[in-house]
Amino acid sequence: MNKKMKGPAANAAGENKRPLLVSLRYYKGFYLMFLPVLVFALVFHYLPMLGIRYAFYSYKGIKEPVFIGLAHFEKMMNMPGFWNAFGSTITLSIVKLLLNTIMAVVLSLMLNELRSVTFKKIAQTIVYLPHFMSWVVTASVFTLILSPTSAGLLNAVLIKLGILNEGIYYLGNQSWWRPMYYVINVWKDTGWGTIIFMATLSGINPELYEAASMDGAGRFNRLRYITIPALNNTIITVLILNLAKVMNLFESVFVLQNDAVRQQADVLQTYIYTQTFNSGALPDYGYTTAVGLVSSLVGCFLVLLCNKASYKVRGRGIV
Amino acid sequence: MKKKATAFDYMLVIIFVLISLIMIIPIYKVLIDSFDLKTAYGMKLFPEEFGFAGYISVFTNPTLYKPFLVSIFTTIVGTITGLTVATLGAYVLIQWKMPGRTLLANIMLFTMIFNGGMIPTYLIMKSFHLTNTLFVVVLLPAINVYNMVLMRNFFEGIPASLFESAEIDGCPPMGIFLKIVLPLSKAALTAIGLMYAVSYWNDYTNYKLYITNENLYNFQMKLRSVIMGSDLPQAIGGATENTVKNAAVIVAILPFMIIYPFCQKYFIQGVNIGAVKE
Repeated sequence: MNKKMKGPAANAAGENKRPLLVSLRYYKGFYLMFLPVLVFALVFHYLPMLGIRYAFYSYKGIKEPVFIGLAHFEKMMNMPGFWNAFGSTITLSIVKLLLNTIMAVVLSLMLNELRSVTFKKIAQTIVYLPHFMSWVVTASVFTLILSPTSAGLLNAVLIKLGILNEGIYYLGNQSWWRPMYYVINVWKDTGWGTIIFMATLSGINPELYEAASMDGAGRFNRLRYITIPALNNTIITVLILNLAKVMNLFESVFVLQNDAVRQQADVLQTYIYTQTFNSGALPDYGYTTAVGLVSSLVGCFLVLLCNKASYKVRGRGIV
Repeated sequence: MKKKATAFDYMLVIIFVLISLIMIIPIYKVLIDSFDLKTAYGMKLFPEEFGFAGYISVFTNPTLYKPFLVSIFTTIVGTITGLTVATLGAYVLIQWKMPGRTLLANIMLFTMIFNGGMIPTYLIMKSFHLTNTLFVVVLLPAINVYNMVLMRNFFEGIPASLFESAEIDGCPPMGIFLKIVLPLSKAALTAIGLMYAVSYWNDYTNYKLYITNENLYNFQMKLRSVIMGSDLPQAIGGATENTVKNAAVIVAILPFMIIYPFCQKYFIQGVNIGAVKE
């Protein structure tokens, strides 16, 4: 309501009754300005949606598509690769989300306790840094320092300390790949994740802390009874916003995976990519479109669910 | 209330020094290796045999500096296109009384809920003959509804009275947009422009999907094939293979490392506007 009052020429009542045609002429310039935006949205978002029909066709890019009904979906249900990728998408996304959020909260609480403003600024600048590195760069850096040869930093240190006898190929080892994936994600995004929590923390009324101190609350009691409760809503918001993106997982996994860890590291989007472009045979666009459709629908369901949860928790949606 | 620093405060400082080291060591390791002409050994604080040969290899080898130029070109053109789309869309979406405004807003927002998926999008781009052109990697990421919503939130903060007086003076919508809205939104344009620039510079997925012609690779694509060893550039002047790899990584992060300290507040502003109002 409030927003509607402040449009151009808020001498409202008469304006609202303006006949549609007059109104359309009045806003002509605006429609014209929106036209390029609309063209972008149609070409890059809506036309691709028409391509979803291939999920019900046999289509390999050479002959005309042939309608085959739900055959691709039946095939999918019987493919262990699909179910494995589906499970990995959920596991990798959720564990990553929880770890990143917990670490970001802990880091924010510690940043908040720092006494020196200069030191805090320097620390913040440093922990934000990895966020700006692309996934290709991140993967390159970690491929180099986790390398199994003597050039790999981690192995060199561990061998020198006598913990290991020979280097481990962390990113090509089935039991090491997932832990390393989580570590790399925490390294890259924890710092950036603190920004939103720091904003909430800086909004806490300092009088609360003073009053608590007068009542004899020590540092940890103030943390427990004032700071952490103030963060609750922000934590839930961050979880909800990111839960909606669970199915999007692609690039971070794609640049870190290799054939040795396919079982641990294949998520739906990478499954679609490799099945289409790296399968060695003619690409079966129909099948991979069908897998993509399942992924999009689950993603859509998650967004709507999170939207509802968001309305409940903070009174407004996420889209 | 100034209190004496306790043991806890000292411990906290030590923890942060450790955290900072963990953040920096991987990057530092790549940096020293990029200057080291000797075959790399994992543990060392400084290059054993210092030299610029790694960087000279990167910038004299056309297969490496061409992708760098592609990255610069697409980042600049893409950021300008993206900002144009986001600002035009956002400005129209704050015309609360415009007939059809809600419909247009919903058309935009729906794309955040549901999408065609990787393969249908690929097939459509292919049918338009956009694959293996730079059009697709510049235009496709330009329409980013999330950035448009951020921009709209910024625009809402502009006092309505400014629009009204301009309208009374007979200024057309495009005039108001160019003469009032944009000059008042410099902070927003910087914040969102930087977000676009980072995502264009770091783009890998779109190139991987739509570009197979090596002449159109950006630096991320090239870096990837260099690191994976499938495409080692000729090392020049005593640089080892490893030196060139590390130098290429540093070149890929250099532009943003240079501007980051000056732009930090704009990056943070972008995050906070998105989180507080959406």
